[in-house]
Amino acid sequence: MALKPYQKLLVYASWAAVLLFFLTPIVWFWALALRPQATAFAMPPVFWFRPQLDAFYYTFVDPGINAPQLRNSILVSTGATLLNLPFALAAAYALARFPLRGKRFFLLWYLSLLMAPPVVYLIPYFILMSRLHLTGSYLSMVLILQTLTIPMSIWLLKSFIDEVPVELEEAAAVDGAGWFVRLTQITLPLTLPGIVVTSMFAFVFSWNNVVFPLVLSNQSTMTLPVGTMNYFATAGITWNYIAATSVMAMLPPMAIFLLLGRYIVRGLTFGAVKG
Amino acid sequence: MRRIAATRWQPYLFLLPSFLLLVLLIIYPTFFVVSNSVYFWNLQLSPVPLQFVGLKNFELVFTATPFVDALRNTLLLAGVGTFLEFWLGMGIALLLSINLRGNSLVRALLIMPVTLAPVVTGFLFRYMYYREGGFLTWLLLSVGIPVSERGLLGEESSALASVLVADIWQWTPYAAILLYAGLLSISDEVKEAARVDGAAGWRLFWHILLPLVRPTAAIFVMLRFMQLFNMFDLVLVLTRGGPGTASRTLAYNLYQEGLANYNIGIAAAMTVLIVLLVTLLINVYIRFAFKDWEW
Repeated sequence: MALKPYQKLLVYASWAAVLLFFLTPIVWFWALALRPQATAFAMPPVFWFRPQLDAFYYTFVDPGINAPQLRNSILVSTGATLLNLPFALAAAYALARFPLRGKRFFLLWYLSLLMAPPVVYLIPYFILMSRLHLTGSYLSMVLILQTLTIPMSIWLLKSFIDEVPVELEEAAAVDGAGWFVRLTQITLPLTLPGIVVTSMFAFVFSWNNVVFPLVLSNQSTMTLPVGTMNYFATAGITWNYIAATSVMAMLPPMAIFLLLGRYIVRGLTFGAVKG
Repeated sequence: MRRIAATRWQPYLFLLPSFLLLVLLIIYPTFFVVSNSVYFWNLQLSPVPLQFVGLKNFELVFTATPFVDALRNTLLLAGVGTFLEFWLGMGIALLLSINLRGNSLVRALLIMPVTLAPVVTGFLFRYMYYREGGFLTWLLLSVGIPVSERGLLGEESSALASVLVADIWQWTPYAAILLYAGLLSISDEVKEAARVDGAAGWRLFWHILLPLVRPTAAIFVMLRFMQLFNMFDLVLVLTRGGPGTASRTLAYNLYQEGLANYNIGIAAAMTVLIVLLVTLLINVYIRFAFKDWEW
């Protein structure tokens, strides 16, 4: 049904109101990263100012205390994503392709791990890692992130493998192709978009996780959001620095979500809703 | 389906690595909390458990920590948060399902809060809530709503609600995008048939659209309720559970007892209780959400 012009206007106005509500806090924080320190808490708020990159320069270049933390975030998230893929791929393939006993149990067990409160791991791992003298290692963070990334990736990858017709593999099997050839020559290449999407979500999940690095990192391995939180510990919080480092922490997930497009719904429901 | 596995055991061999790694990762914490829940152990006094105290720690969870307050706050957050996010999201999803140009751009921008780490959302709102010069405080004051000297996060009456507002801001778009996808998957024939039968407006929504998005809604409610139930990051940045215990959640209470007070024994007992509670909730949900699921 066609909308009358005034109805269209009403719809656009409501969309604009929705966006205004959900984007203002983000834009206001970007502005904080770019504004002169003196205007950060001005009353009434200062809307017009000459943008400057001082806060970014201070936090990431000179003295640049947050630059190594950005590197740590990239290392930990990339590490967690790469480690999770082979484990998740094998399991997702088995769960998607074979009529195995206990399929429901396995899928629900992985899902329940995703819903467990991450805080319950903190104390045991904090003590284990200090006893093993692994506190602060990248490995400890990457390993414990697997409790989130592997279950998430299994569910998501399974939904993608489910969509590759099993008949292709059956036909190849009739022609005498072994399981390894079928897996690597047929199913994996056809699942490639799904593998890329899953990796992107695993990366964002790891990137945005703060609970584990909060307890398991040390001064030289802490990730960016943990480093940002340290600004609260110092007397006289410098909000411009908090904003600058937060903007850096926001950008990769935002960019990834813009690339993900129609896969967002599927990823955010671990493949349960196709979108 | 014809058999395409090489052997009967192959599927299980494929599952084994991930299953084994995860079991290894959770077996230590499980063992740790169960065994230490019956010991008196303060990490500042000793690097090892000090004394067997039986079930005393479970009693101390209730008497020495504000566990009941935290449980009430957590259930309040999870219940009210899920409810409000769902219905606000549904409203936005319905607005978005009006097919006008620019729709996909609006959706791409709308999802942005969801991409943030919850701690970053915390930073955003801590800044907005500042008593002196915070944007939100300024907005409230300029429309004539008084804000006390301690600010919204510093008042016992508004701390929990302020945490909830930040969470609603971040996750309502999640509901909107999910429910939009659910609405979109309802075929035009169904809607047309309903319209021919005279269902329009509210009745169309209540009797046709809502039942048909039920599977999507169930997934949303399950995931969101559990995430809210586990809420930690936002509280850590916004209020540290305060003032007093006004915004303390179960997860924050556990963190406070274990990694601030270093009462490992009590924290272990508390972990056992929380995990039992979560297990119960997850099972109830899974039964509900996956009722008509094809495996």
